Amino acid sequence: MEQKYRQKKPKPPTKKIAAIVVAFIAVFCLIFLSASGKIELPFFGKTAMVILSPFQNFFSWTGSQLSYLKSSITEIQYLQRQNRELREEVELLRAQNLTASEYASENQRLRALLGYKQVSTQFDLVAAGVIGRESVTWSSVIVINRGTLDGVANNMAVVTEMGLVGHVLEASANTSKVQLILDPRSSVGTLVQRPDSRVAGIVEGDMNDPNHPRMVNIPKDANVQVEDAVVTSGFGGVYPKGIVVGKIKEIHNEEGGLLKYGVIETSVNFEKLEDVAVIVASREAPPEPLPPILQTQGTETDPYETAEQLRKAQENLQQAQENVQQQQQQQLQQAQEQAGEQVGGTTE
Amino acid sequence: MRILVILIVLVLTMYAAQTSLLTYLDYNGVSANLLLLLTVSAAFLRGPYFGVTLGFFAGILQDLTSGDFFGCATFAYMTVGVIFGKFSERVVKDQFLIPIVSAPVAAAIYFFITVGFIHLLGYPIDIEKAANTNLVPLLFYQIIFALPVHKIVYDFDKSVVSG
Repeated sequence: MEQKYRQKKPKPPTKKIAAIVVAFIAVFCLIFLSASGKIELPFFGKTAMVILSPFQNFFSWTGSQLSYLKSSITEIQYLQRQNRELREEVELLRAQNLTASEYASENQRLRALLGYKQVSTQFDLVAAGVIGRESVTWSSVIVINRGTLDGVANNMAVVTEMGLVGHVLEASANTSKVQLILDPRSSVGTLVQRPDSRVAGIVEGDMNDPNHPRMVNIPKDANVQVEDAVVTSGFGGVYPKGIVVGKIKEIHNEEGGLLKYGVIETSVNFEKLEDVAVIVASREAPPEPLPPILQTQGTETDPYETAEQLRKAQENLQQAQENVQQQQQQQLQQAQEQAGEQVGGTTE
Repeated sequence: MRILVILIVLVLTMYAAQTSLLTYLDYNGVSANLLLLLTVSAAFLRGPYFGVTLGFFAGILQDLTSGDFFGCATFAYMTVGVIFGKFSERVVKDQFLIPIVSAPVAAAIYFFITVGFIHLLGYPIDIEKAANTNLVPLLFYQIIFALPVHKIVYDFDKSVVSG
């Protein structure tokens, strides 16, 4: 092929140069003639467009596909970045949510404990948090973060707003060990709360069923039923009277045949024990307010209004009595004065 | 004849790619001028007469289809074809660096010829502003696309020579 090119007879340079110069001059003139509107080439323009259009269509389509691909890749990258950021945000929010839930739970527990403290006016309570639990499975002892410096001493009762937890086994300066009522070594003097029962018994931990203590020493013919509430009796001096222990879940006969025992469903959930209160002092509970008197239908009166009327009537009566007394004194005084004047006149 | 058809297809393809595909990569409406690069490379490889001929047809194609000042592109491409074709007699054809370096120079020639004609036709033009908005991006694009275009033209030229 190269030989073929080389074999061609080259045109004389002068002719080529002349052709080029003519072409330049022609194009130069064409520019000005076209700009002035004297030459128009619509046919050639349309023909060129027709020839070019398939190529342009192809490249335009290719370009749009590439653009779509590019935008897709960009979008994927953006979504990946956004996804990563959202994952990080989710992790952060989960951590915050966990913390908030923890605070909310603690708040709820402390509110309940505070409510119990306000209601239980007969007790002086010291709030404490559970910071440890003995690892030995057959005993039930917890460690709380209050000790002798906080006023806690041995044998003080420990409660929650739900009921009795146990008593302080050993108090150190800042912490205390609390023996739960689930512990087999624990014994709590209790009685059935039902007014027509009031049967006394001892609640002690059951080694065979660590989550359900037993109320023992119940006479076989005692009036005790399932679902009876069990409260502390106050006997023994460790636990104040009236603290809820739980309710009787089952009743079984003792092997000897004279006694029976009740399995207690404790009111306190010992598996979720986090905050407790130590009763550092207790006193006699104030009398409960009298219940409202039942009134006959249709003749109901407002006791407060009646009391107010009675008070006013008493005041009026007292005022009237005082008035009468004053009048009587005045009359007596006048009579004495008159009598004195009469005696003076007779003497003269 | 086959060579002519291939050449026409190459010119059409380059121009179609320039006007359709490279618009996706434009910067403020300016993208690479592949026909100018084609003219420069062809002129380097084939001499001034081939360069001016290719420049003429490439310019005519652009002038007919672009709707710009008719003849300006033709004149500019022909000028570029002549100038860089003259260098073909003095440089080694296998040298790739010179066409790449020539690409921005050719772009500058094309720009100033066009601006000159616009000025001669009586249209007011701020050369500095036009250079900032049109010439500077064009220079970068021409440098980037010079090598691939020259490689295509070089391979085409070699295939023609080898038959």
